[in-house]
Formats: sequence, C-alpha cells, structure tokens
Amino acid sequence: MIPFCFKRLLWMLLTLWVVFTLSFFLMRAVPGGPFDSERVLEPEIERLLKKRYNLDKSLFEQYRIELGNYARGDFGHSFKLTDYTVNEVIAQGLPISVTLGTFALVFALVLGLLAGIVSAVSRGGWADFTLMLIATTGVALPNFVIAGICIILFVFMIPIFPAAGWGNFDQLILPAFCLGAPYAAYVARIARTSMLDVLSQDHIRTARAKGVGPVRVVVVHALRGAMLPVVSFLGPAVAGILTGSLVVEQVFAIPGMGSHFVQAAIARDYTLAMGLVMLYTVLLFSMNWIVDLSYSVLDPRVKLN
Amino acid sequence: MPSNSRNLTASILVLAILAGATKALFFNTSLPPADFTFVNETEIKSLDPAIVTGHPENRIINAVFEGLTKLHPETLEPIPGLAKNWEVSDDLLTYTFHLREEARWSDGTPVTAHDIHYSMRRFLGPRTAAEYAYQAWYIKNAHNYSLGAKGLQVGDAVEVELNLPIEATNTRRGKILRGKLLSVEQEKKSSDQRVFVVEIDGKSIHYQPTDDESAAQNDPPKNTHWCRQILLDFRQVGIKVLDPLTLRITLENPTPYFLDLMGFYPLFPVNQKCVETHGSPQWAKPENIVTNGPYRVEFRRIRDRIRLRKSDTYWNRDTIQLNVIDALSVDAVTTSLNMYMTGIADWVTEAPGPTLRILRNQQPPRNDLNPSPFLSTYFYLLNTTRKPLDDIRVRRALALALDREEITSKILAAGEVPALGLVPPGITGYHPQQTTANDPEEARRLLAEAGYPEGKGFPRLDILYNTHEMHQTIAEVIRKQWQRELGISISTRNEEWATFLASQRQMQYNISRRGWIGDYADPNTFLDMFVTGSEQNSTGWNNAEYDRLIAAAGKESNEKARMEFFQQAEKILLDELPILPIYFYTSKNLVKPYVRGFYNNVQDFHPLWALWIDRDSDEPNEFMSTKGQP
Repeated sequence: MIPFCFKRLLWMLLTLWVVFTLSFFLMRAVPGGPFDSERVLEPEIERLLKKRYNLDKSLFEQYRIELGNYARGDFGHSFKLTDYTVNEVIAQGLPISVTLGTFALVFALVLGLLAGIVSAVSRGGWADFTLMLIATTGVALPNFVIAGICIILFVFMIPIFPAAGWGNFDQLILPAFCLGAPYAAYVARIARTSMLDVLSQDHIRTARAKGVGPVRVVVVHALRGAMLPVVSFLGPAVAGILTGSLVVEQVFAIPGMGSHFVQAAIARDYTLAMGLVMLYTVLLFSMNWIVDLSYSVLDPRVKLN
Repeated sequence: MPSNSRNLTASILVLAILAGATKALFFNTSLPPADFTFVNETEIKSLDPAIVTGHPENRIINAVFEGLTKLHPETLEPIPGLAKNWEVSDDLLTYTFHLREEARWSDGTPVTAHDIHYSMRRFLGPRTAAEYAYQAWYIKNAHNYSLGAKGLQVGDAVEVELNLPIEATNTRRGKILRGKLLSVEQEKKSSDQRVFVVEIDGKSIHYQPTDDESAAQNDPPKNTHWCRQILLDFRQVGIKVLDPLTLRITLENPTPYFLDLMGFYPLFPVNQKCVETHGSPQWAKPENIVTNGPYRVEFRRIRDRIRLRKSDTYWNRDTIQLNVIDALSVDAVTTSLNMYMTGIADWVTEAPGPTLRILRNQQPPRNDLNPSPFLSTYFYLLNTTRKPLDDIRVRRALALALDREEITSKILAAGEVPALGLVPPGITGYHPQQTTANDPEEARRLLAEAGYPEGKGFPRLDILYNTHEMHQTIAEVIRKQWQRELGISISTRNEEWATFLASQRQMQYNISRRGWIGDYADPNTFLDMFVTGSEQNSTGWNNAEYDRLIAAAGKESNEKARMEFFQQAEKILLDELPILPIYFYTSKNLVKPYVRGFYNNVQDFHPLWALWIDRDSDEPNEFMSTKGQP
C-alpha cells in the first residue's frame, strides 16, 4: 500500500504541474485582463498597476515567478479582493462548501437509499414506478432548475425556508437539497439495481424460507450487499458535490468556493482563479485516491499496483 | 446485534456525527439581526479608499470614512464634513479648509490637516497606483507628482525616496532627500534604466531607481546610488498645512465641482499610523483598520456580508440613527430580489428587467418602487476608422433611422427616457443638446447620397455588446429598425464582459454599446471622454474645435460661459455623431416603506448615514415622495 500511495503522490504532483501550466497560459490567452474596466485606466496608472502585479514582465517570466511561489505554498494576493490573500479566501470559502457538501451528501444518501430500497421491494408496483420516474427526472434536471422550483415552492408559496444567504441552519436546507438531489437520484437507481440483484440470491430465499420477516430480510440480510455499489459511487459523488456547487452557491448567495470561482473567472482574478483550480484538482485527485484505497479494503480481490 | 446491521448503524451514526459537528462548527454563533440590511451588489475590492472604484465600494467607504466635505443625500450639494467651513478665493483657485476640532479617528486621536496632507500624498503617489488618481489632478502640480519620474523636467525641485530594507512594512516611505534635478542620463533604451543627477545640499549625486529587493541584493553601478523613486518635490503640489486644523489647496484651473470631489470617496483620508504599522493590505482588515466616519467595520465575511456598527468616536454621532447595518454581497440579481421580497433585505439596488415590468404595472401601485433618472447614458460607439462609418452621412443616417421610443416603451421597464444627446438632463445650468429624432426619410436620402441607395452595397456590420439579455434585445431591435428603414443588414455579436472591454479598447468592433455613469454632476464627466487622445474615446473620432472647447471650459471661471463651451462641444459631437445616444438610465431601487432618509437624486447615491427606520408612519417615505430633479 505504501508504494502505491507514493506513486500516487508523484502522479498528483505531475498532474498539478500540468494543470497549473495549462490554466496559467489559458487564463492569459483569454482577451481582457484584471485591470480592464468600463472606464479605461490612465496609461500611467495602468503601467504602475501592472508593474506591481508583475504583469509587465514577459509571460514566461511571470510563469516562472508564479510557479516558484506555488512551490513555496504562497498563492499570492487576490487581484480583485485586494485585502485578502488567496489562502484567506480559501480558508473562508472551503469550510462553507464542505458544510454544504456534507449535507448534500446526507440528503443524497438518505433519500436515494430509501427510494432505491422501496422501489426494489415493490418492484413493478406504483411506488417503484413513481420513485423511478422522480429519480430519472432528478438525473435529467440540472440543479439550478431544481433550485428555481424549490424557491417557488418553499420560499414563496409555502414560506418555510429563507430565500438565500448563509449563517443560520435553515439557510442550509434548500441549497443542500438542490445540490444533493441529482446524486440522490443516482443513488436511488444504483441502490434499486443492486438491491434487486441481492434479493434474487439464494441466501435471501433461505432467510425467507426460515420465516424471517420481510423488513428484517431487507434491512439485515440484503442491504449490506446492496450497499457496495453505492459506496463506490460515493467517491465521485463527493468530488462532484464539492466541485459542482458553483451554480447552487450563486443562486442561494452562499459565500463558498463556487461563488469565488465564478466571480474570479469573470473578473480575470488570475491568482484567485488559479488557487481554486489547484484546490479543485487536489480535491478530485484525493477523492479518487481514497476510493481506490477503499476498494482494496472492502474487496480483498482488488490488488493495488 | 448482527454485524451487517451494526455496520449500517455505524455508518449512519458517523454521518450524523459529521453533520452535527459541521452544524456546531459553523452555526453556533447565530448573528443578531442588523437594524438595516441591504444588498450591496458584489463583494467590494478593498476598504482602502484610495485604490477602489465602483458603487459597492462607494457605499461602504462613505459609511466608514469622511472627507473634507460630504454630499447632501437629497441635493448632492457638498456640505461640511471634516471641514466645518472653507473660504474660496475670488479666482476660484485657492480653497482654505477649516477642520473641526472634535473630529476623531476610531482610535480616539484627532483628525488633523496633516492626516489630509498625508492621505493626499499617498493617493497621488505612484506606488499607491490609485485608479482614480486623476480626480485629484485638478490640484496644482498633482498630475506631475503622480507621474513619478515621467513627470519630471530638468530644473524641477525633486524628492528622492531612498530604499528601505526588504522586511520593512511596505507602506512606509524611505528617507526623503530634497534637491534639484540637474540632468537625466539614459543608460540603456529601457526607461527603467535611467540615472537621475540630483543636486542635494550643493553636491550632485547620481540616483537610479530600483525596488528594495534588488537594492538589497545588488551593488549600484559605479558612482551611482540606489533609490526607490524620484518624484516631484511634494511641496510643489498645491496642498499646504497652515496649522493642524487649517489646510490650503491650490488648483491648476478653476474647477467648479472641486468641493464635490472633496466629498468623493477616493479622496477620503486614511490614518497614517494604522497604514504604516500594519502595511498593505493588512491595515484594511476589520481588526486593524482605523476610520473616521459615522460607522466602523465590525467584521467582513468574503462574499457574504460586511457588518457596520455606529462609531462612538464620530463627531456627529448623535445624528446617526441606525446602529447596525449589514451590507450583503449577492451577485445574482434574481437572488437579491428574492431576498428583498422575503424581507431579508430592506433595500436592493436593482431588479431584473422582466420582473421590474411586472412590479411597475401592479395595482395598486407599489409603495416601494420609484424609478428616477440619474446621470447616465446608454449609447452606441461607432468605429469611425472603419468604412463606411468614417462617412458622416452614414453615421447620421444610422442615427436618424433609430426609433428610440420603441426601445424605451416596449423593451425597457423602468421608465427610461429616450436620449438624443450624451449629457443627461439634470445638471444645474446646463442645457442638454439634442440631435434630430427619428426621421427615416432623411436617413434614406443621406444613405443614398453616401453611395448606398436603399442599402445596396452596404457592408455587413455588426453590433457588439457584452453578454446580457437586455443588451441583446436592444441590439436586435435596432438591427430590425435599420433593416426596415434603411434596407441594410446588420448582425449582432456578444462577448463576455472582460473580452468585450478588450475589444472595445482595441477598437475591434464596428458598432459597440457603452453605458456611462457620471462621476460628478457636471457635463465634463461625459464630454471629456471624446477629446483627442482620451483613453475613453475608442471611436477614432477627433475634432480640434471640440478639444479647444473642452480645454477652454476647463480654464473658464465664469460658470455661465463655461456651460456655454460645453454646450457648443456637445453640439459638435451630436453633429458628427461618433456615438448614437439611445436612452438615459433610471435607477431601479426597491426600498421598504419604513426606510426613511432615502432620496432619489441624479447620481443614484444614497449615503447610509442619512437613513433611519420608522415603522409607525403611514405617510410615504422620502423615496416615494421625491422625484429626481430632471
């Protein structure tokens, strides 16, 4: 396992370097810069600003300086939120996105598993049909559409949740639900399939024959086997939820990383955008890493190499 | 308990603990509500007045800092701020400000003329790189000081700032030596490699500017000394401290709006001790910042909110009524409207167009919506360096074929006014000029005269706009109008904001939209953008007479004659039409009926210090009962 982790670490560094290089040059290839505004700056003032941020140097020179800073762990100051370093922005935004993501994941698991089990047990019945219809719709609908519907329903028609914002627990429910809903739909479909698979196996029939009650058969005997595919879906789901909250955070005015990322890209905040790209890369990479590790723990047949 | 169900219970438990922990971690401090909450559009760039631009910054800086003057919330007249009164010389060039003895910084120390002097120097200093620095260039020699070494001529009195160690706080100034510039030696072709020969105390010394890092690492060339920068001697700039409470400012030219500029947020004073102790940008953190305004910054959560609390050191604190104000940062307009509708926010600055139309047509009429014109114009730029837009007849034809009424009445929702000129109505003493309104007959004649009868042979131009539903609809309507009246086919092209700005600046467009909001209530803020060589003039158009008139207006001290110059200039602009005025914006504020002290005015400027809350009154508040001046 140690050599595996070591190898993965090397790969991660290589990936980070490639992502850094690509992002660096792509960002600067896009027309417009951080100091463009509707009011064009006086040339002398613009020259001074560019000098301060090293933008007057050649592109390669800038790349060299930036890469050096990153290697030292210094992500620099945000161009557009000049009172903060990129690290400070991340330090404020990441916990918020993680909180939101955690709750979204809880929603996805609880709702998804429940729906999956119920529809597997009542296979072909109306409950199965309705739940799978909802699940298919959930997969198909982007989360900002779900957000719009939820806001109309639960903010304006039945006013039980606040429209947007961050700081109180009730402000978390709607965005977490909207973010988790598509994943709940996936979980439901995976759980249903694997549940059906397990329910048709011999040991379940044996349990039934021995007179075990239907609830006990499902919860105790079938669920564990049915959980495995769901668990393996968790890795991509966590990564997807953490990096996929851009739109939901905008719609609900949540000051997480998604909001920072969108605004940094729009405003050509090179430093902040780069910091977030790198962070997302690390998140995605380590999620996949953990999933691979967990496979070897869950299933002895999987060999790490 | 069987192992499998124990696993399940365990995993559910783990999740529950995780959820509980995050809840405890991030929600244990539920905020006490603010007295007044508003949506401040986007996150502000900084709390440092000198380096910011933009409305969200304006609202916050105006609450936490105060300048020599401040603007009256209704009339926008400059009223006493830090200065309790002032004298203006007869030639309108010298202003003597008398500061209040009772003005205090939030650390309890008095605000003095030295603070203003320090802040002005910092604002103008090239190392600060203030985007709005040109707003202080009306002060004598301020422009040359701002330009750094570029503003120097041989014989000038100069100040040489010596380098500091690298670890010194970045806001501190190095030792200042004063002398006379004897000559400039160009070592290499690059402009940074110049050596300045300065006479100090009778000795001539060679100085070469460099940054602190390379000064510390490298030895200077032979017979040369390192220095941080060489500037015009600041004593040449028209800012003099007469005594701790008296400041004299001398201007280059009579500037009628100079007192308004003293109430303009980039020129507000900052606390020298605070800036130099913490360095930039740490000094602007809520825990470090020292301010002198009606409010202080309690905390800041990035892209969430800035909480302001009434300052207990502000000289006029007894008149400030709101104790706690929350400025929310919400980028999506629909989201901010939702927050307003559900009572989270008491004021939002904008509502999305289609929704605004519905809100405006509600019966009975809403008591919280009162759009009013302010100093801002929506227009199209024409690239006069490209054919056929270099032909004045073509530009006139395009202008005459426009039906602005169709745009303002059918597309726009907030009662916008069709614009026939660049300068909006509402500036005292100025008579806005107008170009001819819709006249398709004449337009067709001009186009035929220019060689495109019924649009035949007219190249396929495009209208460039930044990606936005409203800009797109307007461009489409104008495209159809031109197609219908002139028989020419035009296409539309949209670009994302920063790309759009770059295209406009590099003049890679045929026709492009632009919106312009006046910085101060004077025609100059609109008209000086089209003088030859202006950074804002991205049309390629220039006119010597126009330049002369704008320059003459800048030097004129008689208000009537000055306005006359501007009117003549605008007339030239509207005869030659490098721009097509389309409409004047209106403000789109939604303000709850219990919010008082909120006035409509021509700059859509609403200082927080003037507000209060009154939930018992049945009468309409100031917002609903005031119309903007036009």
